[in-house]
Amino acid sequence: MEILANMAQGFGFVLGWQPILFIIIGVIMGILVGAMPGLSPSMGVALLVPFTYSMSPTLALILLVSIYIAANYGGSITAVTINAPGTPSAVVTSFDGYPLTKQNKPGMGLGVSLVSSTIGGFIGTIILILFSVQLAKVAVKFHPAEYFALAIFGLTTVATLGGKNWVKAFIAAMFGLLINTVGIDPISGVSRFTFGSVHLYDGFSLIPALIGLFALSEVFKQIDEQNFKSKKIELEKTQWPTLLDYWKLKLTIVRSSIMGTLIGIFPGAGATIASFISYDIAKRTSKEPEKFGHGSLEGVAAAEAANSSSVGGALVPLLTLGIPGSASTAVLIGALMIHDLTPGPQLFNNNPEIIYGLFASLLIANIVLLVFGLFGSRLWVKVTAVPKKILYPMIFTVSIIGSFAVRYSFFDIAACLGFGIFGWILRRHNYPVAPIVLGIVLGNIAETNFRRAVMMGDYTIFFTRPVSLLLLVLALVSFAWPILQNKIYSKKELSKLKS
Amino acid sequence: MKKLLIILLFLQLFFISCKKVNEEFSFPKKPITIIVYTGPGGLIDITARKFATVASKYTEATFVVENKPGSGGIVAIKRLLQLPSDGYTLFACTKSNISKIVSTGGEAYIDGIDWAAMMMADPECVITHKKQKINSWEDILTDAKAKDGDQLWLGPANGGLDHVTALKIWDEAGIEAKWIPFKSGGKAIAALLGEQGVAYVGNPREVLGNDDLQIATVSSSKRLAQFPDVPTFEELGIMGLENEFMWRGFVLKKGTTPQIKKWYDELFLNVNNDPEWREYWERGGIDVVYKGSEEFTKIVHNDKKQFTHYLQKIGIINTEATSMIAKLSTGKTLYFMVMIFVIIFLIIGLFVNRSPNRKYLSKIMLPLFFILLSTILFIISFSFPSNEKVGPAVIPRLWIIILIPLNVYLLVDILRQKREIEHKDENKKVVFGFIGLLILYLVSIFYIGYFISSFVFLIIGIYMLGYRNYITMLIISVSWLLFSYLIFYKLLYVPLPVGKLIEMIF
Repeated sequence: MEILANMAQGFGFVLGWQPILFIIIGVIMGILVGAMPGLSPSMGVALLVPFTYSMSPTLALILLVSIYIAANYGGSITAVTINAPGTPSAVVTSFDGYPLTKQNKPGMGLGVSLVSSTIGGFIGTIILILFSVQLAKVAVKFHPAEYFALAIFGLTTVATLGGKNWVKAFIAAMFGLLINTVGIDPISGVSRFTFGSVHLYDGFSLIPALIGLFALSEVFKQIDEQNFKSKKIELEKTQWPTLLDYWKLKLTIVRSSIMGTLIGIFPGAGATIASFISYDIAKRTSKEPEKFGHGSLEGVAAAEAANSSSVGGALVPLLTLGIPGSASTAVLIGALMIHDLTPGPQLFNNNPEIIYGLFASLLIANIVLLVFGLFGSRLWVKVTAVPKKILYPMIFTVSIIGSFAVRYSFFDIAACLGFGIFGWILRRHNYPVAPIVLGIVLGNIAETNFRRAVMMGDYTIFFTRPVSLLLLVLALVSFAWPILQNKIYSKKELSKLKS
Repeated sequence: MKKLLIILLFLQLFFISCKKVNEEFSFPKKPITIIVYTGPGGLIDITARKFATVASKYTEATFVVENKPGSGGIVAIKRLLQLPSDGYTLFACTKSNISKIVSTGGEAYIDGIDWAAMMMADPECVITHKKQKINSWEDILTDAKAKDGDQLWLGPANGGLDHVTALKIWDEAGIEAKWIPFKSGGKAIAALLGEQGVAYVGNPREVLGNDDLQIATVSSSKRLAQFPDVPTFEELGIMGLENEFMWRGFVLKKGTTPQIKKWYDELFLNVNNDPEWREYWERGGIDVVYKGSEEFTKIVHNDKKQFTHYLQKIGIINTEATSMIAKLSTGKTLYFMVMIFVIIFLIIGLFVNRSPNRKYLSKIMLPLFFILLSTILFIISFSFPSNEKVGPAVIPRLWIIILIPLNVYLLVDILRQKREIEHKDENKKVVFGFIGLLILYLVSIFYIGYFISSFVFLIIGIYMLGYRNYITMLIISVSWLLFSYLIFYKLLYVPLPVGKLIEMIF
């Protein structure tokens, strides 16, 4: 009951014209930031932090958190409409969202991604409000061995992603893992594969790689295939999901939201891994797994619900322990500090208005997001009607801003172009590019935690800790199963053909 | 032509007259940039921004904070050293930068910098978990001796300030322990809260806000006002650790004129004495100090010596290549080897391109590329030091060892089934043209900036794809410029490049 009273107080803080206005501004900016290939949620938050230095702490947090939430959704807009995921976690949304657009149903993809995003965000926030203290206690116990096992489990989703091309999918993932080792070794501090270049000390940034591999290579491919005809979508006749469509997705959305929140809690895991894993699980448990990758609504819902709900999860360690769970929350800590607030358990006692005001604004921001998204979706659909000959050059100019904005470096723009060309070559030869992104995301987590775990014990530690063992066994099963399934399936096909 | 000459003449006169006026000292005449080596939101970023606000009480000058993240500060330092030493660029520096400079072999940078003012010093401290059995310094000591080198200390990156402090503590206390590096101090504290290790080394400020954490001991000469119960090392009988502190300060490029330096010295002193400035930092347990150029330079050189000693000791720098393969994989031999591999690849590529089975054979190029790349990286990995149980070479090699067989499998598979696969061609020419255009675009952004280049690029690009409605083209390009200027440049503060040439002119 105490929580209800506190929440009522929280809403009291937020339900004024000024906080609501900030939420609206935050949501609009967040959608914009998320939709721009390259401006990820954490960058959106970081770019605005200096702007909030002069605001009151509650308003600053409200603004930043609204951006964070909306940016996580915004990434899906460009993922669905032009196959250029605006954020790393929207990569998974593009698997099924873009095929829907190709089938002339962009409204279906956009609608489902919006609704699952907001429901996911809502569920994540509620879990945050109700269980944050208990969950944080579990999160700090998560040993490096378990992080490693989680990363390996995440990697096995490649087996599902690859389908018949699983060898190529694995090559792509390994390539991603390998280029992730370029730069200063995070454990020992020596430089690896840098060829003495300062630009490579931090390795290749994820964002330029992501833009290159998805947005640029897609454009190269389209130019290559002379796909300049914009499908004439009659906007009035665009198909939107019905309430029944949403109802059918209820299980997927709820399950993915819970998973997304839980994965988001572990410092460093984050939205991208959450969406990959929950997509994988949705496919395995679906009644129509064959539709995945060809415009499955379940696929879109699983990915979006997971990455939006991970926001709530990432805030758990931030608020309860003062430890950032993701890049965006790391920036939020700085924002708190400049206002002389030290994040951590004492914040609940010393500044409850901030904590509960934040909770209330998270809930309201999700509602605002839903409203603006519903209006906006009518607008986003029109992106697909822009003449391709104009759209493609514009994607390049946007991509350049996106890759430059990561750390204001020209090297990143060049790297982005390089990844674009390489991605195009890979696609021509039917290599999927998404596993590369997964490899880059997971490489660091897998490596540092593997080595940390061994330093803290020895090699047996992965098998003597029950959670790590369980995750590794799950990983093995989920790795072998789709490949076996494929083999059995193709044998059946063969025997059918023979008879 | 004549008119142009006259205008140029006038401009010349104008500049000359400006110069004359200049001879009287007046500084600053334009905004001063403070370079910050992290993204917005970090402690050093906050320091720079707070400085800008407080400084505005004492000078008319405007300060602009520019974030130049990357390589632990090396990118930002390089930027400082590229710019002229006219006093219009300050660099917000921390002791961590020295560790980075030393570990990347950039000692020369230290001499290129004018160490203007040290503004803050936070003592380093050992933090423990209250609810763990081992939480006082005595407990740590007995436990370390009992565990004989297997006691776990948690903290941020290897070779960083906190790690080097820990090494020094162990040396002085005569114990051995293991340093488990985490991606950030925060993540290490999470692990400490999860009781995965015994101690954490860092800033006293980090225990604030969390009741489960406590400071076991602090490396300052007297107890901290904020934490009167915490003993210093000296009190515990360990000498030589009373001056382990993390400093932050502002530096200029060497060669700044004495007049400008004097101006800055006054400003730094004023800020240092400002009550708002002092109160803001002291509330967080941070020591506000002021050390002028001479003393600061001495401290920096001392730090350099210390970092060099410890980084050598843990093998981050100056590890001589020992084995044959290791020697092969460093320096010129490495580039030679890479060249040979590239040539082999190109020859195969040429052969494939000429062959009648081109479409089918071209499929082998990618697996081949992956195999060659892996081989090169595998050989390079021998040059990494390996004085740990799982050294820096282990994981890259693991990925390579999985990558090569997969590609061999694919190669065999391709060579086994000889069948022609239809490939939709051939608009490649346009793609190649476009790639060429993009490279030009990149180069021109570097010289003439994002806005002009994008305008030209959009027009040419749209034309190249065969669009011919010129009015729409113009409208689109202009509106994109406006949009990117307003949204990215103005609203989101993305410092889009204005271009080297343009910068030179203005």
